[in-house]
Amino acid sequence: MSIHSPFVKTGSGSSAMAAWAMLALLIPVSIYSVLYQATFILQFMGYAFIGSMAETIYTLIIKRKRRLICTGSAFTAALIAASVPPTMPFLPMLFSILIAVLLVKLPMIGSPLRFNAAMVGRLFLMLVYPVQIVNWGTPTADVISTATPQELYRSEGFPLEWSEWLFSKIDGTWEGLFMLVPGSPGETFPLLLIPIAALLIWKGIIGWRTPLFFLIAFSITTALCGNSPLYNLLSAATLFSAVFIVADPVSTPMSKSGQILCGLIIGISNALIRHFTFYTEAIVYAVLLGNLCAPLLDRIAFELRGRALLKRS
Amino acid sequence: MLRTIKTDWNILADFQTLETPFPRPERIYPGLDTIDPATFPDFLDEIGLVGMGGSGFQTSEKIKANIGSHTLVINGIECEPGISIDKSVLLNDSLWVAAGATACAQAVGASKVILAVQHNPDLVTELNKLYGEFEVLTFSDKYPAGAEKLILKKLIGKWPAPGARPHKFGFLIQNVVSLRAVGRALVDGIPVVERPLTLAMPSTGFYQNIIAPVGISVQELLEIYKLPYDPAIHIISDSGTMMGKEVPASAPIEKTTLSILILKRDDVFRNERPCTRCGACNTACPLGLHPFTLTERIRKNKTEGPAFKAQMTECFLCGVCSAACPSGIPLVQSLEKGKACL
Repeated sequence: MSIHSPFVKTGSGSSAMAAWAMLALLIPVSIYSVLYQATFILQFMGYAFIGSMAETIYTLIIKRKRRLICTGSAFTAALIAASVPPTMPFLPMLFSILIAVLLVKLPMIGSPLRFNAAMVGRLFLMLVYPVQIVNWGTPTADVISTATPQELYRSEGFPLEWSEWLFSKIDGTWEGLFMLVPGSPGETFPLLLIPIAALLIWKGIIGWRTPLFFLIAFSITTALCGNSPLYNLLSAATLFSAVFIVADPVSTPMSKSGQILCGLIIGISNALIRHFTFYTEAIVYAVLLGNLCAPLLDRIAFELRGRALLKRS
Repeated sequence: MLRTIKTDWNILADFQTLETPFPRPERIYPGLDTIDPATFPDFLDEIGLVGMGGSGFQTSEKIKANIGSHTLVINGIECEPGISIDKSVLLNDSLWVAAGATACAQAVGASKVILAVQHNPDLVTELNKLYGEFEVLTFSDKYPAGAEKLILKKLIGKWPAPGARPHKFGFLIQNVVSLRAVGRALVDGIPVVERPLTLAMPSTGFYQNIIAPVGISVQELLEIYKLPYDPAIHIISDSGTMMGKEVPASAPIEKTTLSILILKRDDVFRNERPCTRCGACNTACPLGLHPFTLTERIRKNKTEGPAFKAQMTECFLCGVCSAACPSGIPLVQSLEKGKACL
């Protein structure tokens, strides 16, 4: 029992529920996949369960305090599942979840340098299973069924007119209602992410600085490179990663100026990698670069704050 | 039939022989008009005055250090959220407060008195009626607006250096309850034997501003108001929700007790979880410090370095970081340890 002096709580007080909330919100984000194939939700929950079990096994091994439901790792696993094609085979997914949870997420608890475990898992998939990870099977089989807009854009310039891309590309029962983008489950539904981000920020689960400055830096750099910012924003999981990956508090800096700088680093490097290399889904590298900079940015912010205090007279 | 009484005024003195026809009365004991800076601190020690805003710092020392200040600031901003004793004293004991403020201003040689209160138009109108000669300055009502440092920042228009006291800039900031005690001692001749405080029990809706004698135990207070206090489900918080501490029912009311709050044990219990590095403490800190980095360094004993020392000096343990932490980490308790490292 510990009763300490601030007898009130301000802010969200929802850190216990944060992972649950994020996990629950991944389902509406990937709703297109669920609607297209109802069993996807079982697949999704199965992966989340595997992640949870991986953490339980880890706690058994190192004899830490045991919990039955480990939502943090479940969220990591679900994030991996939402950022790769639904047709990904089971074994690569299992490997990547185990690597993400057992090698990255849990052993690094407490160290100032933390990596986004889901991105490390996806990096593993990109390196080891390069064929499966670009197998974007959009359900409506037409000319662009196997390429995301990013890849088409990369190879052919603007493949489609903007309005055509927006409304008339995919015809079907559900697709007519929403603006849908071919890609991984998480990114098919870009506009839904805006209310979800507003909800998460309002509840204090994610901060607004890192994703906002990520999006600003990304748009400006994309425009400077001569590409369409809006097109790039609404495709290739940019909004999805802004809400669920860049905004991850664990692996981004804690200080306000550090969060802004980290957002800028991720945004600029993401746009540059997309423009100058053939990795169209560059968010993995950009986020890991930002995570690498996080402890340094925190430390610089701390020292600068101290110096600013000392300069006062 | 009325008869006019003729009085011979010249029985006692012949006015024609006096230098001034109506001589000024001479004061034979020290009063409000003749505050002597040399003896005033001793007078404060005699009545036993300590800073009644919660700090408990000896007021005589403060007055001595502040001699030469040009402005006295009456701090009428609540030191803790939710209590209203400062406003209550300002409105209801205005005679004593004004007397105390005038006396302190004379003692340090201040020519101007500023009344710092929370922003509230009705309150300001009332105070303008009561304290016509003082200038009323309004502050935000967001905790910790009542801290000396934040008042000073608004007065001088920039952030003061870490550890700088207000007298460096010519300000004397005194809590309103301290000034009430000074005024009471001057006007009525009664030393500091009582303490205005807020007694509240949120679970029953009880809320009362009371004047309690110093030294009465909390138990007796509770019996007077027949509050259903049960040690198993309630805790008693001495001095408020943010900077207070838990005390037993036998504890006395002290001069520094701002309020007595009876809170439910379940509401205040904080389950400590690992840090999620959300940065809520950084965002919440009213001084823009980095509380988690500070506690990290204290834990690892890396307490050297100018950046650490400057930030640790700046911190005044307001408790906002702990309150904002969604993981329930006791940051303020670590920072208190860090204050010892300076």
